[in-house]
Amino acid sequence: MSPLQFAWRSLSRQPARAWLGLTGMAVVGALLFDMLLLSRGLLVSFRDLLESTGFDIRVTATEALPGMGPALSDAASTAERLRGLPELADVVPVRFGSVALDDGDADGGGLRGAKRRGLAIVASEPRRRAEWKVVQGSDLAERGPGGRPEIVVNRAFAREEKVEPGSLVRLGSAPPAREFRVAGIVEFPFEAAGERMAGVTLAGFLDAFPAARRDEADLLLVASRPAVGAEAAVAAIRRARPDLHTFSIEDVLERLRQAEFSYFRQVSVVLATIASFFALLLVTTLLTVSVNQRLGEVAALRALGFSRRRITADLVAESALLVGGGGIVAVPLGLALARALDSILRRMPDLPQRLHFFVFEPRALALHAGFLVLAALLAAAYPVLLAARLPIAATLRKESVS
Amino acid sequence: MSARAAIVEARGLAKVYPMPAGPVEALREVSLTVEPGDYVAISGPSGCGKSTLLHLLGCVDTPTSGSLLFEGRPVLALREEERSRIRLRRIGFVFQRFYLLPMLTAWENVELVQSEAGLPAAERRARTRELLTYVGLADRAGHRPSQLSGGEMQRVAIARALANRPGLVLADEPTGELDEETGEQIADLFDRVNADGTALVVVTHNLALAGRARRRLAMRSGRLAEPAAVAAT
Amino acid sequence: MSVRLLVLFLALGLGAPARAAAGAASGSEAPEILVSRGLLRECGLSPGDVVMLSADPHGADARLFRVAGVYEPVPDPARFTAKRLEARMHLPDLLALTADPGEAAAADAVGAINIALKDPADAPAFARELAARAPAMSVVPAAAADDEHFVIIERFHLAISVVTMIGSTAFLLALMVIRADERREVAGLLRLLGLRRRRILAQALLEGLAIASAGAVFGVLFAAATQGAVNAFFQWRYDTTLVFVRVTPAIAARCVALALPLGVMAGLMASWTLLRRPVLDLLRR
Repeated sequence: MSPLQFAWRSLSRQPARAWLGLTGMAVVGALLFDMLLLSRGLLVSFRDLLESTGFDIRVTATEALPGMGPALSDAASTAERLRGLPELADVVPVRFGSVALDDGDADGGGLRGAKRRGLAIVASEPRRRAEWKVVQGSDLAERGPGGRPEIVVNRAFAREEKVEPGSLVRLGSAPPAREFRVAGIVEFPFEAAGERMAGVTLAGFLDAFPAARRDEADLLLVASRPAVGAEAAVAAIRRARPDLHTFSIEDVLERLRQAEFSYFRQVSVVLATIASFFALLLVTTLLTVSVNQRLGEVAALRALGFSRRRITADLVAESALLVGGGGIVAVPLGLALARALDSILRRMPDLPQRLHFFVFEPRALALHAGFLVLAALLAAAYPVLLAARLPIAATLRKESVS
Repeated sequence: MSARAAIVEARGLAKVYPMPAGPVEALREVSLTVEPGDYVAISGPSGCGKSTLLHLLGCVDTPTSGSLLFEGRPVLALREEERSRIRLRRIGFVFQRFYLLPMLTAWENVELVQSEAGLPAAERRARTRELLTYVGLADRAGHRPSQLSGGEMQRVAIARALANRPGLVLADEPTGELDEETGEQIADLFDRVNADGTALVVVTHNLALAGRARRRLAMRSGRLAEPAAVAAT
Repeated sequence: MSVRLLVLFLALGLGAPARAAAGAASGSEAPEILVSRGLLRECGLSPGDVVMLSADPHGADARLFRVAGVYEPVPDPARFTAKRLEARMHLPDLLALTADPGEAAAADAVGAINIALKDPADAPAFARELAARAPAMSVVPAAAADDEHFVIIERFHLAISVVTMIGSTAFLLALMVIRADERREVAGLLRLLGLRRRRILAQALLEGLAIASAGAVFGVLFAAATQGAVNAFFQWRYDTTLVFVRVTPAIAARCVALALPLGVMAGLMASWTLLRRPVLDLLRR
């Protein structure tokens, strides 16, 4: 009878205890698994978002996040110069702004600006727009019919304002508002749930923000040539324009890892540690009690010639069955729990709709398995010590007296 | 005098247990030889050192002083793993409280020690069937200890002790938890085991069981003596 | 409406304050600024230093300021992971530093106006009224601004607590089953002597209550004793004065109130698994 078979029989001897141990392990394991998903979930999800735009490099004037710091001046010539670099496939200037929507009320043409009526604007050149995906209508043209500027809006805006391709909307950062023709309905990768967003051309941006400085960009989106790669392209831009701040996706993620996302990483580390400790405590307690209750049996087995190694193998197998059984159930349980926790956290305001806190990665599964193996070994350590160092004769004597 | 080599040869064995109130001498200058086919019964009052001697003979414990040879090998010089191997292959143990594994059937309890000794599955099956028939429990092979009576459990324990064809079976109060009639049945079984060539050392209070042994020894205060000698002191 | 100070989020890199050359001519007459503790440390400043600030990434139109002092920014739970590299200055100085000279209106433009009401409880009504009267403005009561974040974080923590409690309950139940099993024979003997199940269950209930009470009190005391260490770690990690963990009487009471019924339930369930069995089964070895 192999140690695993023996362990199975030992566990089935106390089914209630074994089931409770497995349940506890499954719940704790699910928590551990979720914390592993959380520890990198935001980064993985954010990387997907960044990559989905098709641009792997960002260039800004300073280290501040785009829109939070000074803008790039001479954007057009800067973009043109960078386009000349052989390492780069494309460069697109982008501007960000926020306007109020004019509903055309007869109150002096003022812009109604309660928070609900705000609109975030993304502007870029009409050459390549991975910043959004058209889901209805068409993409922007430099000028629409009748020379009217065009706009693409997201679903939330279209739904709330009841607009569709061809509708006219009036917007502006200050009176008087300018009329835009809705060319299409689009999806922005970074749009938050319920956030109202729109895209315009760089020229359209100046129509919406007449006071904005000309030829500025909050951000240059850069695509490296696939054969070159982001790192070489970043180095080329830094050589050409050392005054600018150039970030690859990895740089952005590293920065987020250090700052903005670090809270969830810390929380996941703390909770994973607690969950591991809890799992260890649970299994160690169950095994120790189990060994203590059958000291006589263990001593008898040793007297019958079972080696210390065999007794150790039996206990490690018992620990592995408890931890492994619970750990396997923990994976689907953890995935279900992760969905629930993710749906709670994703209700945070201003969070990109496509951003997730819990993202499955094979790496998390491997780590989960690694943690469980370690937990099983550590949990078995004390009971193994207890059983292996058991004085056979003294225990048999004591047991026969009791 | 027998020309055969002794299974166990103990000379001047002593065992001292360190206790908070001072050392306790459990065995003093005990010498004993067990030869193949022997049937030795050791009797004596509780706490006189019978079980301690049995544990030393069975390589479960080591003496504080003296020499002990098992099949010619000095036990004290052996590592714990080697002593384990001797216990598994050359010695059978029968305990007062049976110590059958409750989650295993009678069959599995008997097969377990053979499996640990590395016997092939087919050989294990044949030997287990043979042993359960030998102890009269072939029809209870699938029963767990909780489904067996005390006498049946002890018979399974005897079958387990014989599983690896040991040269020596050591029994510690094998009838201690059994009624008189069942004790008689166990004594009969021991007679058969011994008649089949296995040496037996039985520690017992049961005079009827002790009376069946060819050599009866008595213990007093850690010393071993023939009954006559004991009576004379 | 007077707004005396605004927070300027300084861009790093070229936007960071450059220490002015020693003995700069107008250094002593430069307007004063307060710098955050983080900025002071990051740039190696000290009160009395004269620095150049510019809103332009290339340092154009830089102006001299004298560091009058250092301040601890009000901890912002929504941004506690960010470095607080900030400075405070008088509004006219900020406008002079940041306004576009080509745009006349920019010299009189602010990003936000903070309003202190005589009665803070009036904030929601005031915000509604002001939004109606000045439709171009976004009016948000300060207390409500970040509430949603914390409601969600609280929900997340609550969900984690529920999961932890389910795991703990299984653990507790396993321990109680072990305890009950250890006393199988005693329970059988007591029943054989004529004690009723209810009497034995009452004993188990009391024991469960005692274990759960001791566990809950220990848990609360442990949390109270370690909260300082947890706070100290996170405050060190994020360089903030925010308090992350606080064991309040309400939380302690909730913890005990949850633990006690769970302990009692676990004790009763474990005992019942024994007591429902026939007496002789309990006594059989």
